[in-house]
Amino acid sequence: MSTATHDAALAQPPLAHAAQLSLVRRIARRLRWFARRSPMSAFWGVIAAAIVVMALSAPAIAPYDPLKSDFRAMSKPPSERHYFGSDQIGRDTLSRVIHGSRASLTVAIGAVVLGTTLGALWGLACGYFGGRFDIISQRAIEFMQSFPDLILAMAIAMALGAGIGTVIVAIAITRIPFGGRVIRAVVLSLKELSYVEAARGLGASHLRIMAQHILPQCIAPYLILATTHLGVAIIIEASLGFLGVGIPPPTPTWGNMLADSLNAGLVPPWWLVLFPGAAITITVLAFNLLGDGIRDALDPRLRRAV
Amino acid sequence: MHSYILRRLAFGALAVVGVSIVVFVVLRILPGDPLVAIFGPEGFSKLSEAERARYMADLGLSDPLPVQYLHWVQDIVRGDFGRSFFRAESVADMISRRGPLTAEIALISVVLSWLVGIPVAVVSALRPNSVADNVLRFLSILFLAVPGFWLGMLIVLGLLFVFGYRAPLASVSLFDDPWANLQIVIGPAIVLGLAQAAYIARMARSSLLEVIREDYIRTARAKGLNRRVVVAMHALPNALLPVITLSGILLGFVLAGSIPVERAFGTPGLGYAMALAVSERDVFVMQNLVFLYAVVFVVLNLAVDLISAWLDPRIRYA
Repeated sequence: MSTATHDAALAQPPLAHAAQLSLVRRIARRLRWFARRSPMSAFWGVIAAAIVVMALSAPAIAPYDPLKSDFRAMSKPPSERHYFGSDQIGRDTLSRVIHGSRASLTVAIGAVVLGTTLGALWGLACGYFGGRFDIISQRAIEFMQSFPDLILAMAIAMALGAGIGTVIVAIAITRIPFGGRVIRAVVLSLKELSYVEAARGLGASHLRIMAQHILPQCIAPYLILATTHLGVAIIIEASLGFLGVGIPPPTPTWGNMLADSLNAGLVPPWWLVLFPGAAITITVLAFNLLGDGIRDALDPRLRRAV
Repeated sequence: MHSYILRRLAFGALAVVGVSIVVFVVLRILPGDPLVAIFGPEGFSKLSEAERARYMADLGLSDPLPVQYLHWVQDIVRGDFGRSFFRAESVADMISRRGPLTAEIALISVVLSWLVGIPVAVVSALRPNSVADNVLRFLSILFLAVPGFWLGMLIVLGLLFVFGYRAPLASVSLFDDPWANLQIVIGPAIVLGLAQAAYIARMARSSLLEVIREDYIRTARAKGLNRRVVVAMHALPNALLPVITLSGILLGFVLAGSIPVERAFGTPGLGYAMALAVSERDVFVMQNLVFLYAVVFVVLNLAVDLISAWLDPRIRYA
């Protein structure tokens, strides 16, 4: 709905200002409606937004350089100077936790968008064309789902070698089957509807039917899928970092920090364990609850299920 | 039923073949030189061309890919799972020595997840939207968000600070010293069990809420049975069908989850071996362990499908 308003704004320059204003108002009204409908999701949505802002402005808000070691403050517990303490080579934990959100969010959003999009396109093709292509694709998807997510991601990340792109690809591949299955099911049910049949009867090409008539109906399930998978992606990213196949050090990521803490001595200092893990938990919680709220708002039929 | 079993078995066999191909493609064909993985980028650059070629030939990596694949499958069929680059131990020994611990952890965690998840679901479903329901639902959402390995690290630290206690690190078999063995497996089992319990509670709650609305439940109440009997004898058995399927899937995810969790606890199980192999980039150990885990996952899912079909005739005639 809001995109329609936006298009109108582009089409009619003299009215652009008024239209834009109503766009802002519409969004505000929608948000208010969302907040009233599910205050819990709205609250966690605000936290999720705050985490995104934290990631974007990390260099501005972090008190220290996350990579700089201070040899006068090694393995120090939380204090006035270092609110979250410092690690074994004197890096400020708070700054590293703040910067860690960048890696986490980049990987999670990148992987989920890439994986869900590829899966959705695959599912669209399977559902629309059916036949042998569909049968072979379904088997391939089942084989991919014969691996627990983390194991497949580990193997791919290890084979491709360290790097942020690798981690994104590794996690994205584990997301493909979900997109493929859900969108395929949606397309299968849409294909038989009379308006699609009418379009076919009027001689529309396959590409046109897919793009004009089927794709728009897939947007809601796509958004639901993407948001509900963000949390899982963050946990897999942290696990890969913890196992040493994530984004290579010294880049601060929450998983790397937890792995580092195990090397900090026989007993890891509690502040090196507590804060990065708490950051993961809060972030995943925020995205999961926001995702639940978005799902409820976009698809009321699913409300009963959870 | 027979034809259903045969169909599922055939699919299981096909899945094992498919899985082996995926593993081979991921670990052998994707870009990334195994010698770089073994020697590290620096070590690799110090090797001469001739040395590189010799290592590749020794490892059987200069054969054509289909030949390499067949060799690998042959080895596995013969029970030869290769050995680590970095340790003298063969992968087969590793599996037989460390596997039982991980299997114990997985089984205990599943039992725990039912013991915790089902009562929670019943309490929630009997009074939907009550205070208890909301608290329990929030807890289950919370446990979905907590990374198991972090919870594990916190537990290890907490026990150490408060009681000065640390679980034994050396592997002990259940039959030699059950008490020491229990101390090793209980931590990871609790962490993994709680994570599963969260999923199970969610699924069982929604499934119970659906079943409770059915006519036969109203009939049972109408003929005067008390609420508890109706829930326990009439509603639960039907509500648990999807939970059984979910539990089987979760059991597979426990195998994966046990990798970082065992690392966090320092448990001498197969998951820890896998964590080591992946951090050392021990390609051949990884290849075989990933394959093993995937086959176990396929077999578990097959078993769960057969159990659900046995419990619910609607599935086998579908």
